[in-house]
Amino acid sequence: MTEAALTSDIAVGKGRSLWADAWRRLLSRKLVVASLIVIAVFVMVALGVYAGLIARDWSEPVGPRYQRPSLEHGFGTDFLGRSVWRKTLYGAKISLTVAFLASLISICIGLPLGAIAGYFKGWIDELIVWLFTTVNSIPYIILILAFAFVLQGKTLFGYPLRGISVVYLVIGLTSWVGLCRLIRGEVLKHRDRDYVMAARAYGCSRSRIILGHVIPNVAHLVIINFSLRFVSFIHAEVILSFLGLGVKGEPSWGVMIDDARQELYRGCWWQLAAATLAIGLLCLALNIVGDALRDALDPKLRQGLE
Amino acid sequence: MVSYIIRRLLYAIPTILGVLLITFILFNLIPGDPSYDIAGKSASAETIAEIRRELGFDKPRFLDTEALSQGRIAAAFDSQFFNHFRNTLTLNFPRSLTSHEPIWDEIKSRAPASLTLAAPMFIGLIATSIAIALVVAFARGSWVDTILVFICVVGMSIPMLSYILFGQHYLAYELGWFPILGYESGMQAFKYIALPCLLGIASGLGSYVRFYRTVMLDEMRSDYVRTAFAKGLSSPRVLFKHVLKNAMIPIITTLVLSIPFLFLGSLLLERFFSIPGMGSYFLDAFNSRDFPVINAMVFTTSLLYVLGQLVTDICYALVDPRISLR
Amino acid sequence: MAKADGHILRVQGLKTYFPIRRGVFSRIRGWVRAVDGVDLDIPRGQTVGLVGESGCGKTTLGRTLLRLIPATAGTAWFEDELIFSANRRRMRQLRRQMQIIFQDPVGSLNPRMTVQTIVGEPLKVHGLAHGRALRQRVVNLLEQVGLSPGYLNRYPHEFSGGQRQRIGIARALALEPKFIICDEPVSALDVSIQSQILNLLADLQDALGLSYLFIAHNLAVVEHFCGEVAVMYLGQIVERAGSEDLYRNPVHPYTKTLLSAVPIPDPRTKTACQAPVGDVSDTSGPFTGCPFHPRCSLAQDQCRQECPQLREIGPGHFVACWRTE
Ligand SMILES: Nc1ncnc2c1ncn2[C@@H]1O[C@H](COP(=O)(O)OP(=O)(O)O)[C@@H](O)[C@H]1O
Ligand SMILES: [Mg+2]
Repeated sequence: MTEAALTSDIAVGKGRSLWADAWRRLLSRKLVVASLIVIAVFVMVALGVYAGLIARDWSEPVGPRYQRPSLEHGFGTDFLGRSVWRKTLYGAKISLTVAFLASLISICIGLPLGAIAGYFKGWIDELIVWLFTTVNSIPYIILILAFAFVLQGKTLFGYPLRGISVVYLVIGLTSWVGLCRLIRGEVLKHRDRDYVMAARAYGCSRSRIILGHVIPNVAHLVIINFSLRFVSFIHAEVILSFLGLGVKGEPSWGVMIDDARQELYRGCWWQLAAATLAIGLLCLALNIVGDALRDALDPKLRQGLE
Repeated sequence: MVSYIIRRLLYAIPTILGVLLITFILFNLIPGDPSYDIAGKSASAETIAEIRRELGFDKPRFLDTEALSQGRIAAAFDSQFFNHFRNTLTLNFPRSLTSHEPIWDEIKSRAPASLTLAAPMFIGLIATSIAIALVVAFARGSWVDTILVFICVVGMSIPMLSYILFGQHYLAYELGWFPILGYESGMQAFKYIALPCLLGIASGLGSYVRFYRTVMLDEMRSDYVRTAFAKGLSSPRVLFKHVLKNAMIPIITTLVLSIPFLFLGSLLLERFFSIPGMGSYFLDAFNSRDFPVINAMVFTTSLLYVLGQLVTDICYALVDPRISLR
Repeated sequence: MAKADGHILRVQGLKTYFPIRRGVFSRIRGWVRAVDGVDLDIPRGQTVGLVGESGCGKTTLGRTLLRLIPATAGTAWFEDELIFSANRRRMRQLRRQMQIIFQDPVGSLNPRMTVQTIVGEPLKVHGLAHGRALRQRVVNLLEQVGLSPGYLNRYPHEFSGGQRQRIGIARALALEPKFIICDEPVSALDVSIQSQILNLLADLQDALGLSYLFIAHNLAVVEHFCGEVAVMYLGQIVERAGSEDLYRNPVHPYTKTLLSAVPIPDPRTKTACQAPVGDVSDTSGPFTGCPFHPRCSLAQDQCRQECPQLREIGPGHFVACWRTE
């Protein structure tokens, strides 16, 4: 076949980027679409809580205390007679806010550090590798609690750190290592590819190469990493809230589990069940989407142990 | 090989020093002087001075420049920074602020209980998940595979606290199969750790089975296993002999990756089941803002983790000699 | 002798070494002498071929000339400008005049960019065109290399190897360079596509007055395409001559083995090819004598002790071999 014949094979028009391809592959699976819908619903609930449309009067008693789940009381009531259903909805706001802001902080640290280490190599790379090996050599839960211990009650640029801000700050500051390592490895591969050589040959500046050429080629890893990492952030929020470090005066899922601990001995299982169900459902959807994203965006990437 | 081991040992040094630097920043630089915190608002000047001396906060932060200018080199390095490094490295921790016991003694006396819980949990988790993963990998592509993987993902999605709370309530409190909480040393210990162990394994199973499944599937796709199948060896035998033998290398690496999970498990399980181990020590210190204990725990757990990684890497190099050539 | 003497490019004594790090502290334990003392002139508007086995340092030589890899020693003039000592601003100007085409049609195009961005970026970086003008330039460039302007918004993975190579050529042409290094531009392509790309390069040379350094790993591709050919072995040029001269009258034993290894189109006679004696030897250790002596059937004591220099043995025919006296 000649070149000219090949040329006419592709219809003239808009091209399909790798992103568009991946998106199409993602939408072709029913379970993934269902999970995306579940996530969207949770996000909507969280936004609704922010807007004051959902669960605004969560703190009002809706009936007697310790009511079982029933048609009348929905998911039941807690030790103050408040609706477990409303508390659960409200918890979506806390969980998603924490996970989202922690991801943001984590990406803001991990992505530039990884890209710089991988692109420049040399002593700067060794310094960054040393930094993340060190942070990584402190067991995660110990590190997170030590950070929380220190940051609690301090002020940062005039903002007092308490409640939710400690939670996302601590999670964000301690969880960038995985991404940093991943990005560094991938950038190391890309920096010697011919397309980067070509960009250098026509005089592209280093910052333009990193931002315009290399980062777009590793950006999918950020997305895969964080769709999977979101789950561990949500779980971390639960543990921190449970240990009394999280939000105060608002119901998060971790606070609900803590409340439920006392109620369990009265046979009141529904608050624990509701929180578990909410976390389980959201995390299940996130896990499924994360896996599917990985398959769609980077089939080579092997799943690690989180 | 020897060169590799030496190099690997040398690499651990900056990491340990880095941990010390981080703990210094966390516990000395950021909080500033904690004596007022500890002594309370109404404390007398003497009490505060006493605490400051006890914790070494009366020393200069980095270098005693005055002593240095006078040529007293040893005195010049008697600062918070260098004392932190020296004392922590030699495991010469101060006394706890709450119990006033030496921290290192406390850690030593609590380590057996933690180990009694963590070791069976660790072995049980790895063994169970490898066994299940073999079944799943053998049934790959079938509905059994699909359903088991789905159950694994569900299992991973549920927070560990829910496992613990439901398990403790229903299996111990309602059904009375296990003691609700408590601990005794010696053979009696197994009665008490049985439930925490089971719950720890249950909560970790999802992610481990899924991970080992990918490892096994990778091995099964390799050529020699295909050849073995082609030669007509019965499938289960092939699976066990070849796949497991070759999956050993990735499995070794997961052992050290499990250490953080074990710490988290121990922390929560010890708290709920009142097991007097290092995890509950850490949480108690956390609640009473006993920062020398937290500092000591961060360092010792990191030391353990780094040593664990070191041993794994060396095992790894022994199994696969290509590593040492890098 | 200073300056390029009317040539577009003059290279003298060029060396590019890579450190080998080993041991506990990753100390430098030796050097890979990838390019080891190369002299080369490229006449204006002509094509010089550079041929040698894979791993002999051709790519390294090409990239060193563009300062993509730092040179260890030596000088190179582009017209009257010293390449290796040019400051940042001058280098930016030089980059507009020297460009490169890569071997690998997959790796040389950024997979996340559209054709328009890939071809237009050099112009953008140098601030030469914006908006509609940029788009028009890119369309012209695509037409110049035989691609339809309808491909502007397509991504590299939607093209065949030959088409991708055309995109790479369009990118190299964007800055209107005078000199292009073609690093095995056709080695990764099907034989039927190879000649199309070679014809395109030849047409562009005629139309734009380009000079090429054309790298290849066998002599067959180079024969009709280059006026002059340099044969490289382990970082050194061992023979240099006019294309016809070299084919009719190869002098260096290495050139002879290369020529006998030229694949003959008829598959039945392929087995008759004479393989070079031995393997490409290690360049890292201390080494004396002619680089080719371990594989040379004519080697004698002198070849093992002293390294021969290029000598002119006929008009424009240079060879570095003791056994040709
Ligand atoms: N970045 C590098 N670091 C170390 N060695 C290199 C590097 N690039 C190339 N080399 C070595 O330099 C030699 C020449 O390589 P190259 O120029 O790519 O050869 P060619 O293009 O002729 O195939 C090879 O032995 C290669 O291993
Ligand atoms: Mg090459």
